Amino acid sequence: MNSLTVAAKTKPMLELKAVSKRFGGITACKDISFDLQQGQLMGLIGPNGAGKTTAFNLITGVYKLTSGAVIFNDQLITGRRPDQIVRMGVARTFQNIRLFKRLSVVDNVCIALDCHETYFLGSAFLRLAGVRRREKAIREQALEYLNAVGLESKAYARADSMPYGLQRKLEIARALALKPRLLLLDEPAAGMNPDESLELAELIRTLHRRFQLTTLLIEHHMDVVMALCEKIYVMNFGLRLAEGTADEIQSDPEVLKAYLGEGYKRAQHS
Amino acid sequence: MFIQTLLTGLAIGGIYALMAVGYSLVFSILNFSNFAYGSIIMLGAYIGYYAMVKLGMPVGVSIIVSILGSATLCYLNERLAYSPLRKRRASSLFFMISAMGTSIFLENLVYATIGARFYSFPELFKTHNLAFGGISIGLLDVFAIAFSFCAIMSLNLFLQRSRTGIAIRAASYDIDVCMLNGVNITALIGLVFGFAGALAGISGMFLGMKYIVYPTMGWITAKAYIAAVIGGLGSLPGAVVGGVLLGVLETFVSAYVSSVVRDVFSFSLLVLLLMVMPTGLFGRFLEEKV
Amino acid sequence: MSQYFSGILSLGLIYVIATVGLAIFTGFTGLFSLGHAAFFAIGAYTAAILTYFYGVNFYLALLAAAAASGLVGLLIGYPTLKAKLRTDYFAIATLGFGEATRVLLENLPITQGARGLPGIANYTSLPVILAVAAVVIWIAWNFTHSRHGRAAIAIREDFVAAEMMGVNIFLGRLRSLIFSAACGGIAGGLFAHYFCFIQPSMFTSYMSTQFTAAVVAGGMGSISGPVMAALIFISVPEILRIANIWRLVAYGLLLVLIMIFRPQGLMGYREISFAFVKNFLGRLGKGGKA
Repeated sequence: MNSLTVAAKTKPMLELKAVSKRFGGITACKDISFDLQQGQLMGLIGPNGAGKTTAFNLITGVYKLTSGAVIFNDQLITGRRPDQIVRMGVARTFQNIRLFKRLSVVDNVCIALDCHETYFLGSAFLRLAGVRRREKAIREQALEYLNAVGLESKAYARADSMPYGLQRKLEIARALALKPRLLLLDEPAAGMNPDESLELAELIRTLHRRFQLTTLLIEHHMDVVMALCEKIYVMNFGLRLAEGTADEIQSDPEVLKAYLGEGYKRAQHS
Repeated sequence: MFIQTLLTGLAIGGIYALMAVGYSLVFSILNFSNFAYGSIIMLGAYIGYYAMVKLGMPVGVSIIVSILGSATLCYLNERLAYSPLRKRRASSLFFMISAMGTSIFLENLVYATIGARFYSFPELFKTHNLAFGGISIGLLDVFAIAFSFCAIMSLNLFLQRSRTGIAIRAASYDIDVCMLNGVNITALIGLVFGFAGALAGISGMFLGMKYIVYPTMGWITAKAYIAAVIGGLGSLPGAVVGGVLLGVLETFVSAYVSSVVRDVFSFSLLVLLLMVMPTGLFGRFLEEKV
Repeated sequence: MSQYFSGILSLGLIYVIATVGLAIFTGFTGLFSLGHAAFFAIGAYTAAILTYFYGVNFYLALLAAAAASGLVGLLIGYPTLKAKLRTDYFAIATLGFGEATRVLLENLPITQGARGLPGIANYTSLPVILAVAAVVIWIAWNFTHSRHGRAAIAIREDFVAAEMMGVNIFLGRLRSLIFSAACGGIAGGLFAHYFCFIQPSMFTSYMSTQFTAAVVAGGMGSISGPVMAALIFISVPEILRIANIWRLVAYGLLLVLIMIFRPQGLMGYREISFAFVKNFLGRLGKGGKA
């Protein structure tokens, strides 16, 4: 166990090196550096507008970095297109759910599975036997992924006909179908009540183990973050505020100030 | 020869700029390509022609009639074809199709009722030339340059200085916020279409006087679309620069190379520019919010 | 009489082939091509020139027509799609492309300019058209039900999410455009050998409009819808003997009305299938009982 950890330490799955992003005069992320070991489940927290989603967009190539570097699995991924980064093994979900709304639930997952499909355009035109076989396999596989998040009964419903909580689960299933090594979850429990969010936390933990993932999680539900994450990185105003284990973060005065305001300090002193 | 070509180019460029501004103005507010605009320009030319030739009105009055007529048509166009979509918050794709439909409808309605005949304005200015220092320029071209300049300048002044103008500029950034701040958006959009229509009337008159009046003269407005895209859709200074640039370059190409190459040239220019600058010269750079 | 109907059906099916092509592009990737008649024209001229001047076998000429149009689709699509132009910019670029192609056809020696090519051999017959249409529809259906088709749909629905699913947006769009252009080319080749005479003025933006109207009215994201719409658009006015020009007036109006009242068109995002028909009849039955 110990030797494994040491070996992994030398070669992180994801490494951010002084990553910065400016939009005109606004700095959304400044000098963000952290690394994520294989198999780790890390939380990225911070108040609204702290630059967490921007960090996701920089890792996945949606935005171009202003400066810094992102290294995934020993390869520099800075400057690559999002679809190339996905193919290297990075998948994500979106804060403001971006499903293919008018398509069926199972088709949403099929599109993700296509990422690793290789049959040619010519054979697709003629729908050769090989293509038919592959298509059938894709569909079956898609149902398995739906099964993993408990959505198999909704497979043929229209994606946007489901309630929000289920749509978030579908986003997770779709991301898993990309067969990623690194999974980025952007507020998967947003809008859920405490019971639902704890149930989701359990699901995330199960999936993390079952698919041998490395997971980076943005979340506002602190009970979810504290229950799941071995390591937490806190951002505020685009900057690093703190980094550490759940216990360390919970007692960090800077973090408490950012979350509870100046009033917290005075209350503590008196 | 060079200065002569430049002046002719400026005259055409001025008209292109007028059309491009009208088209871009609508784009800046509603974020879609108003492909019906070409037909409004064509109808503007017909209205001007009827006022001047059939009703015997003087040139100045005819221009005013054409402006008023086109402004009304453009306003009605918005009320009938776009505002139902706006209320439903339809995507810009639907607006574009509706605009295409309007354009097809209007052009062919003119074909079916008035016919495909060519009409030409009386030779009022065509024969008059101003000559100075060995350069001769048509009086019409001088008018076109002067008139386009004045029209664009007064629109600019209005947008920069008046309360309504400021509201229009605000709406082009965020229509919802504008509405929450108590601006009557329906009236504002109506006004914008009215302005665009007025510009269509002026450019229609000049196009008609320079060339001829016929149902598909709206295709010249494809040049206006190209000019607006070169300048960056939704940017009014961009539309002016794009229009003048396209007019001048085209005139040089037809003068020094051949007039056949001209249209192929403007298309190639467009594609080349978009490859380098996907949002045109002055287009607002929109990074998708994720 | 039967010759009259077979004539209508032939023309209708030629339009179906081109419309299916456009449905694959516009309906499945969400980008508008306003110059699709140009692909039709390129196919028509390629096939006609090959059989007329070089005595090439008709079927080979058809394939060459598809290849030529597809190649032009690649040439026009590569720079514009690479730049990830937004919908409006792309539509205007294709508008310019359509005009530029027509100007070239009017001025090249091999196309005999505006006079056109008379006396092309009459190789196209109803069975040939029927077979080609069936094959094209079958291939298009296969395409939309493959990973390549799903990628195109993903791009249309949400291109940011599509990119995050590993879809190469540029390739996905380019593939659809080339396929679409090739369909247009085949339809053009059939057309040339059906009418035995072609000239540039046949391939104006009106033709592009008819294709677009059929796709929109039939329903974006559907193949069976546009196929029906294309057949209806050609046959109904022909049978009712409505003058060509009023037909276009009606198309324009129809596009606007569809956008206002039924933006999903006849069959938006659905196909006619066995299950669909059963479902439909079931609903009819229920309606009857109630």
